[in-house]
Amino acid sequence: MPEQLLLNTIDLKKVYETKGASTIALDGVDLELHAGEFTAIAGPSGSGKSTLLHLLGGLDRPTAGEVHLDGVALAGMSRDELARLRLHKVGFVFQAYNLIPVLTVLENTAFTMELQGIARNERIKRARAILAELGIEQYADQFPNRVSGGEQQRAAVARAVVAEPSIVLADEPTANLDSKTSLALIEMMRRLNEEHGATFLFATHDSRLLDRVDRLLTLVDGRVTTDEHR
Amino acid sequence: MKAAIRHLLRNRRRSILALAAVIVPVFLLVLVLAMVGGMERDMFLNTIRFETGHLQVRRESERPKGGALPLIRDSAALVDLVGATEGVEWYMVRLELPALAASPDRSVGILVQGVDPDRVKRISPIYRMIEQGRYLEAGDDGVVVGVQLLKMLGLAEGDGLILLGAHPDVGMGVARPAIVGIFNPLDPELGRVIVQVDLAVAQRLVRAPGAITSIVAQVGGVDGPWDAWKIDQVVARLAERIPDGYEVIGWAELAPEFAGFMRILRPLTYGIMVIFFLLGGFVVLNILYLSILERTRELGVIAALGATRARVMSMVLSEATIIASVGAVVGALSGAGLVGLIERLGGIPLPGLYTEMMAMMGMETVLRLRITGVEIVLSALAMIVVAVLSAWYPAFKAAKLEPVEAMRHA
Repeated sequence: MPEQLLLNTIDLKKVYETKGASTIALDGVDLELHAGEFTAIAGPSGSGKSTLLHLLGGLDRPTAGEVHLDGVALAGMSRDELARLRLHKVGFVFQAYNLIPVLTVLENTAFTMELQGIARNERIKRARAILAELGIEQYADQFPNRVSGGEQQRAAVARAVVAEPSIVLADEPTANLDSKTSLALIEMMRRLNEEHGATFLFATHDSRLLDRVDRLLTLVDGRVTTDEHR
Repeated sequence: MKAAIRHLLRNRRRSILALAAVIVPVFLLVLVLAMVGGMERDMFLNTIRFETGHLQVRRESERPKGGALPLIRDSAALVDLVGATEGVEWYMVRLELPALAASPDRSVGILVQGVDPDRVKRISPIYRMIEQGRYLEAGDDGVVVGVQLLKMLGLAEGDGLILLGAHPDVGMGVARPAIVGIFNPLDPELGRVIVQVDLAVAQRLVRAPGAITSIVAQVGGVDGPWDAWKIDQVVARLAERIPDGYEVIGWAELAPEFAGFMRILRPLTYGIMVIFFLLGGFVVLNILYLSILERTRELGVIAALGATRARVMSMVLSEATIIASVGAVVGALSGAGLVGLIERLGGIPLPGLYTEMMAMMGMETVLRLRITGVEIVLSALAMIVVAVLSAWYPAFKAAKLEPVEAMRHA
């Protein structure tokens, strides 16, 4: 059982104000996540899964409450400080892959390392290695629009893990993939978790993925209703 | 940088439009600067030839400008001083006075120039304009007149021209040199007003042997108004050494209207080109802004992955820098190439209507172009600066995108 506390929230709230109406997306979430966990947040659409992931990754700011990542409080951080925190501590995998269209698969994979200022040779070496490990080395020099959705999502996972962040936040990573491709992707992420100790937190309602996680949190109306360790 | 190039290649039509918005102003600026440079040089050199020299030494006078210049009766020491001054490449003495030119039944107010025929050829093009007869020779008792004056007086080659000089220092004098040559200048005013005689004839007209009104000098290494600082240096040097009662006058004071025109020509050109540059910059701004709008989602992803605002800005600005640099270099090189080609072909012949107008402004009838490498480089650099500054707003907008909001963008 992993012990090192990696991420925690205290009474986390997010309220959206639109045209005078308030929508409560998160309503007091207290959460602890440890290094090496392979966790999913499940819940119906609109339950606040994506919002929670955005707040945990420093992509958005809470209305109230606190987020601590690797012992660092996100509250009060400037926009650029949050960017640097994301760059070094968080890997993102999005539902729509979101690879940069003008970069090849290899360049996309190496992109965060480029932002980190890692030398070109080193980042190319590491990017090639992770692509080989994920089985898409042959697409390294292809542009995203020339490879399938599954391969794009593998590349997105490669991009998220290659710089060895503290945590990978994946928002519906299998939603756009067919069943077979989804399973392959899930197994691949599971292997990264088991072999490299990469910490994953998913927002998903894909039952195939939910079956493979160690811990399942259920979110309903912005509240964590169940927290199941397996 | 690679991504920036690929972004530009991704939407080629738009990138070509942005390139054109940079190329055209630079191309035009190089061309216009070359034309202005050519005009300045022609006007500067021709004005100096017809009128002033680079500088003149005269006797100080209380008389209003435009009247007869005071006589210098003993000029030998002064001439030696001018000749020995560092930077003076060439000089001559001249005696100018207003006079009445008359035929038996008509008379016209003119300006008589008493010159040394051998030396004056260097600055006066009149000897090259001789259409009939010949130019003056040393010791000649003749006169060369413009075809326009000749027609007004109803005279012909070989006739005597009555010159009635009236100088406030000496009173009136008369001479009747024979018309030995007729010149036909492009500027009819020149042909109506100027007559040239040997210096001795002019001295006879003022009844003052050995008298002159000015020493006209040229400074070495002057190719146009951009070299005027060399003249100013010699004027200052000479002014320190000149005896009391004399003055050294530079070209700008000798030809104030011309100097004034020179002063406004460049700023006017730059003013017009600024408008072209701003238009080019505006097009670049719009194209990049459109590009940013289209790539909102992508920029959101880049920010989400950890790019700081400065980094996002630099990505957009690097695209602008590529467009600006490529466009400016292409514009500058094509402009310089066209200028070089035109010069190789001998300049741009001006149509008849403009010929007289240009001649009146002291210019040649073939427009020659002149531009320096520094001007070409500065033209390109100016456009690069304008284009990159224009990209600042779209870059700033890109950097301000909130990652979550931007990634929701379709």
